[in-house]
Amino acid sequence: MAGAGVIDDYVTALDRRLRGPDPVKDDLLAEARDSLHDAAAAHLDRGLGEEDAQRRAVAEFGPVTAIAREYQGLLGLAYGARTLRSVMLVIPLAYVMWELNRRFWIGAWDDFSAPPPDWYLTVARLNDTSAWFAAGAAVLALLIGRRLARTAVSTVTLARLGGAVAVAAVGLSLLSNVAILAATAYLDVARLFLSPPVTAATVVSIAIALRLAVLARRCVVFSSV
Amino acid sequence: MKSDALRGHLDALLLATLDGGRLHGYAIIEALQRRSGGALDLPTGTVYPALRRLETAGLVTSEWSTVGGRQRRTYRLTKAGQRALAAERTAWREFTTAIEGVLGGGPWPAQA
Repeated sequence: MAGAGVIDDYVTALDRRLRGPDPVKDDLLAEARDSLHDAAAAHLDRGLGEEDAQRRAVAEFGPVTAIAREYQGLLGLAYGARTLRSVMLVIPLAYVMWELNRRFWIGAWDDFSAPPPDWYLTVARLNDTSAWFAAGAAVLALLIGRRLARTAVSTVTLARLGGAVAVAAVGLSLLSNVAILAATAYLDVARLFLSPPVTAATVVSIAIALRLAVLARRCVVFSSV
Repeated sequence: MKSDALRGHLDALLLATLDGGRLHGYAIIEALQRRSGGALDLPTGTVYPALRRLETAGLVTSEWSTVGGRQRRTYRLTKAGQRALAAERTAWREFTTAIEGVLGGGPWPAQA
């Protein structure tokens, strides 16, 4: 194996330009380092000196700014796919758990002193369906992304599309959660505190939605190159 | 050969290189250069993102394994990758046949 000075400098420069999940980044950089050492060893066998062999290997690998762009696309794509899988699973699960919790501790919502107004029912319906819309959007994005990965669409574009869908899905979920809380508070604030376990479940649901919002924002950051 | 001209064919070239079996990244690059007579001079750093994208598309799969006493990420075609390669080969033969008919320099067919 050739010495590591020039190759180390190149991999360090590449590392500094990349943002994304550490396991994926470490894996990409380990593979890049292996390839550079293989190339340098091949040039050593052809009679080049150690430093020249490394310089040739690095030159063949490509300019660090251009290569970093391609690697960043991969990191953004990996993070986007992971976030979409979380959206697909966690948002519906959180909704179902909250509903089961509410049915167990409170029962049916049929003890309003007067029938709730139409606008409240609209907000309630939005809240009931948003989890499934968000999960469906994530599933579709994953399936379409897998097909688009077989075309000439770049990983950077795919990562941006994944990030946009993640932001929209999480935004819808968060908005519907906040809307039903605000609407219930406006109509009858005591209902928010009818049952401590349900109140706790509501807090957990909001915390989950906020955490997913952080992940979705990172998708956008990691796909920006 | 210019790298821009190769980019549109890179996926098919990588799939074809893996048709013979499991290879690690640098072996793929060497095979590409060897089989093209050294004409393919793509920056080698662009090969790895392309391989990972093919993995995302389900056309190749990869894993770390020990090759020649070293840990390396090796790639192999999936069933979907084999089907995609067969389709690429068919499309390429049709394309080259059509272009050869025009650019090949043979006699033009007599007009009716």
